[in-house]
Amino acid sequence: MPSRLAARTAVRAVFAAAFALGALPAHAQTREDGQWTMPGKDYAATRYSGLNTITPANAGRLKPVWTFSTGVLRGHEGQPLVVGSTMYVVTPWPDVLYAFDLTKEGFPLRWKYRPDVDQAALGMACCDAINRGAFYAQGKVVYNTLDGHTIAVDAKTGREVWNVKVGDVSNGETMPMAPMIAGNRVIVGPSGGEYGIRGWTKALDLATGAPAWTGYNVGPDAEVLARPGTFKAFYDQGKDLALRSWPADAWKKAGAPVWGWLSYDPALDLVYFGVGNPGPYNPEQRAGDNKWTNSVLARRPGDGSLIWAYQFTPNDNWDYDSNAEMILADLTIKGVKRKTLVHFDKNGFAYTMDRTTGEVLLAEKYVFANWARSIDLKTGRPVLDTTKQTGASRGTINYICPSLEGGKSPASPAAYSPQTGLFYLATVNMCMNYATEKTTRLRGTPYIGATTPYTVGPGGNMGAFVAWDATTGHRVWEIKEKFPVWSGAVATAGNVVFYGTLDGWFRAADARTGKVLWSFKVGSGVVAAPITFKGPDGKQYVAVYSGIGGDWALLSGDTRSDDPKDVRDPADYAKELGRHTSQGGMVWVFGL
Amino acid sequence: MRYSLAVPALVAAAACTIAKGPVPAGSRTATAPPPAIRYEQHIAVDGLEPPATEMTNPYAGDAKSAEEGGKLFTSMNCDGCHGGGATGFMGPSLSDGRWKYGGTDGAVFQSIYYGRPMGMPAFGGTLQPVIVWKLVTYLRSLPVPAAVPTQSWQ
Repeated sequence: MPSRLAARTAVRAVFAAAFALGALPAHAQTREDGQWTMPGKDYAATRYSGLNTITPANAGRLKPVWTFSTGVLRGHEGQPLVVGSTMYVVTPWPDVLYAFDLTKEGFPLRWKYRPDVDQAALGMACCDAINRGAFYAQGKVVYNTLDGHTIAVDAKTGREVWNVKVGDVSNGETMPMAPMIAGNRVIVGPSGGEYGIRGWTKALDLATGAPAWTGYNVGPDAEVLARPGTFKAFYDQGKDLALRSWPADAWKKAGAPVWGWLSYDPALDLVYFGVGNPGPYNPEQRAGDNKWTNSVLARRPGDGSLIWAYQFTPNDNWDYDSNAEMILADLTIKGVKRKTLVHFDKNGFAYTMDRTTGEVLLAEKYVFANWARSIDLKTGRPVLDTTKQTGASRGTINYICPSLEGGKSPASPAAYSPQTGLFYLATVNMCMNYATEKTTRLRGTPYIGATTPYTVGPGGNMGAFVAWDATTGHRVWEIKEKFPVWSGAVATAGNVVFYGTLDGWFRAADARTGKVLWSFKVGSGVVAAPITFKGPDGKQYVAVYSGIGGDWALLSGDTRSDDPKDVRDPADYAKELGRHTSQGGMVWVFGL
Repeated sequence: MRYSLAVPALVAAAACTIAKGPVPAGSRTATAPPPAIRYEQHIAVDGLEPPATEMTNPYAGDAKSAEEGGKLFTSMNCDGCHGGGATGFMGPSLSDGRWKYGGTDGAVFQSIYYGRPMGMPAFGGTLQPVIVWKLVTYLRSLPVPAAVPTQSWQ
């Protein structure tokens, strides 16, 4: 661990003692400076801001103070950054980076960076041509482009510092995820779980972009960087776990993408990230656990060493990617204060884990889930309902919950408030029928082989915004929404939480009770993650993108309103969604 | 047997086009033909497409070829983007009677063989022309439903 980081951690530990902020890990505790410099707000990915001017008492008076059209119709995921007096916005493909001056009326443009992005990537992106945002460190704004480049741009001037091709688009690797910068390492990973890639994370040097290491998620120990004496999984023993849990050669087209959010514990010097689904969707073509797909991995950022790994869904039968964020919090579990990691998996279970070892301390369903009864904490494995197992020889398996959109989408990151001790997340209440068939991998084409129509889950509401207690594994409150909720969340010290809906409502709720305090109809559905920041004028603002897309690109509305039969095929379970929202990206800033 | 003349002629024409076209650096080798080639980099000699109307589908209207093409549509993972039955997914529907780049046999052949902008890979380096023609025959055999959703602007 670089000494500079150690020093900073020590300083933060002092703040922690002084302000007794509660259950945040030491490295996440810092005096609130009102900025938002990285996707998850802090290394712990809490998406919690210490700003407290907006409260349940005054949130009803929020109004828009600024908007900006990105001119892009694709799904606007991710979040802006605010560093000093500048706001940075990354658009979906063509991945334009804007810098706006927050000190002047109308937030005029400081500069605009326009990369040359290979449009061949559009045909290799499974789920719309999205981008999940940038990371600021040491004077650079660093982000990825859909065609597999990582780019560092000078935060002041907008000049390109370096531009490195990391992913191979012709092999199905696209790169919409937001990087993590830990010390001097920029860590990135590819999408392509639907294209038979073999997923990895790569680290680049922050100063130069020079490659430092590549750690595969699947394959022999030497390529997974599982080194003797360094790697220890809590539930698994033996060599080459990520090789022996696959049939011969299937691991070479494993999938195992890294398209979600990363977090970092500087004290343990571990970077945490989730790994996505194995390919193809037919599990009979890949007998075995298929490690480390659908897993959380803990790596040392310096040399990439794998320290521990845990698999949420062995031999994934349902496309339950585990790319959702790993939120780091220090929680008291059964009377003992633990360094924990909290993860809401697509598979419908919320996991509270020991982040030093990978032990599962608690795993409970946070949405309706019927593929497994429970998680056995002794073995770490799910207790399956065998009637929900899929495969080419099994025909269509009906009513599997959650659907492959997940009980919560990994695209919509949760927030954690140390003030309430609760986690806030958008949930999806959908089920699916799953039919799969044998398929062949052709380089650069989809490697899926499944048909998975959706149905609405029990209760009839397709989504909700939920407050979750990860120390006991239960839901504290929920706000039901008609459509799946696909936005990220932000929690604030003012006890107000924010989220958006697919039909274009941006809402503030009381973090303690779940009472909706304020709603504003933005221009399109929200699939982004809101942030909050302190402007140069000292006031607290909230920013979010609107612009439906991502998995919902097909369902948004460009059909007729006067013809009930005018519905695109995949939208037939949510016909009305298309009538409530249309595409188009905008940045919104709200204030009192 | 009536196809035996047409097919080799086409192979020759296609090979000629590819050999003369600009080659993107590092992406085209004899052993690993990449489907993802930039459309504008390889579309044709001198930037002109081969004239679609002059190409003749050797299997036009042949039901058996259409059936084989349907199987190829799945096994070559076309359905991964265009959906089962070519009804559309992340890629556009190919069964609604609407064609962005022309719906003649020749135009559809070119879309598959040379790719199209906005993400359609070029399969000319992967699929033999006879295979492409069977896919064309399958797609052209699909009945256009009486009612289709409003056209997507994407």
